[in-house]
Amino acid sequence: MAEGFDIDHLAKLARLSLTAEEKALYSSQLNSILGHFQALAQADLPATIDDARVVRESALRSDVPGPSLGAAAVTRIAPAARDGQISVPRVVDDEA
Amino acid sequence: MADALHTLSAAELGRRLAAGSLTSRALCEALIARFDAVNEKVGAFTHLDRADVLAQADASDARRQAGQGRGPLEGIPVAIKDNIAVQGQPLTCSSKMLASLVSPYDSHVADRLRAAGAILYGRLNMDEFAMGSSTENSAVRKTFNPWDLTRIPGGSSGGSAAALAAGLVPLSLGSDTGGSIRQPASHCGVVGLKPTYGLISRFGLVAFASSLDQIGPMARSIEDCELLLAALASADARDMTCFGPDERALTSAGEAKKLRIGIPKGFLGKGVAPEVAAAVEAAIAFYRAQGCTVSEVELPSADLAVPTYYVVATAEASSNLGRYDGVRYGHRSAQAATPVEMMTHSRSEGFGAEVKRRILLGTFVLSAGYADAYYNRALRARAKIRAEYLAALSQVDVLLTPTVPTPAFKVGEKASDPLQLYLEDIFTIPANLAGLPALSVPCGQSGHLPVGFHLVGAPLSEAKLLAAGRLFEAAHGFAHQQAAL
Repeated sequence: MAEGFDIDHLAKLARLSLTAEEKALYSSQLNSILGHFQALAQADLPATIDDARVVRESALRSDVPGPSLGAAAVTRIAPAARDGQISVPRVVDDEA
Repeated sequence: MADALHTLSAAELGRRLAAGSLTSRALCEALIARFDAVNEKVGAFTHLDRADVLAQADASDARRQAGQGRGPLEGIPVAIKDNIAVQGQPLTCSSKMLASLVSPYDSHVADRLRAAGAILYGRLNMDEFAMGSSTENSAVRKTFNPWDLTRIPGGSSGGSAAALAAGLVPLSLGSDTGGSIRQPASHCGVVGLKPTYGLISRFGLVAFASSLDQIGPMARSIEDCELLLAALASADARDMTCFGPDERALTSAGEAKKLRIGIPKGFLGKGVAPEVAAAVEAAIAFYRAQGCTVSEVELPSADLAVPTYYVVATAEASSNLGRYDGVRYGHRSAQAATPVEMMTHSRSEGFGAEVKRRILLGTFVLSAGYADAYYNRALRARAKIRAEYLAALSQVDVLLTPTVPTPAFKVGEKASDPLQLYLEDIFTIPANLAGLPALSVPCGQSGHLPVGFHLVGAPLSEAKLLAAGRLFEAAHGFAHQQAAL
């Protein structure tokens, strides 16, 4: 069932960088866990989902501005901030 | 007198505060002394701001003096799991990722506790991002079971349960995604309630798996658990799934002695330790002797619950934890020249092993080519499990099982086998998948270790579960129990 399991691809999708030891460990553990999921593949399941956890439409609030934290509170918890804004490594090259 | 304050229930402390024979400051000072004496041994708390606690206590005493007391929780300390936001206090989720985060806002439940006059008392240890069943996944420290310091307290709300069992605080908040309130409550001999999905707002709860997560009360007695539940349930537009307080959940219990109790077929068999089965069978015999009807019920898809849960929960976790990218808050790697490197290195350095394992698993079950085989099938299995539970609960009032198959295990015993640890949650997971309320009640001991039974009811049947728990508690000696430390 875990055919095609590619730990490198998965780590890239998840934005995780794994050591060789971690790759070996997680591959083995995930294969074992996915083996336990076989029961799902073999189960007789309903074709459609009648799921009662849907959010009631009336629960959606109006899409209007409301109170928010404000820039000072937000930048205070940011890893790096400058001039009231969060700073990050350069996203766009000058030549781009 | 002051020495005994840590042994009293919240209800009794409330009565003394109301009568004027106790002040919130005296109570908080006694609990801080208890903290200094035993927290290092137990490791339930990761943070306690003494000055802030005493300032809150003085404000409470002043309100009471002025005749402006806010109700039964006025002046009573409530300790809070470290994934629930309290303004100005750490919000670490016991993760390196959020090690330096101080919450800039209050969760809805913190708002509610302040409105009730409660003292927001310290931060409780947990499995990192609530992922685990032993609190061994905390990046901050280990928490030990107060009944046996060589054993785990359960998890992920291990700090919340251990703090109660150690007499560190009379009330605590936990969160429950697959059993994280009820399993540690069982292991530590306290009461833990996971409410109906939507009864309590999750605004300010750090998201793990949003279709499963609930905040709930933990206490040393049913009465205390009810007090805390009543304070927490209220409408909140900031959580679109929260429908607010519902009288049915809080008051319409009916008569406990007339309850129809269902025992799911096979749940007391394979994998359940003999002493756990014996304690739960004694509880069943008690209810029968009280006049309750006891019958066996079928839940044919019960075996699908664990795989269904671990597909749904990890899928949602992989998405929810995508927000930890080193940009807006949390850990940012110093080893990053580009945005992608910053995200990848920050996540790799900030997350612990179990969190990475679940993110990888969740990413896999949602990935192109596999989502149909895993995630979409799990959603269909979830619908089937929910339908079977609702059908069973149309025949009986509550379902009774053990909370956990075995008593608390030794620290480190299951650390290398995640699958074995996932099976700890086999009895608690279905209530999350089906959005149902569920309660763990202390019912005995295996040697010196507590054992609990587990009640699940139809949506909004909290009062019924609590009434059933109260009937049992009144006839047995497990309320208010604390470990000798």
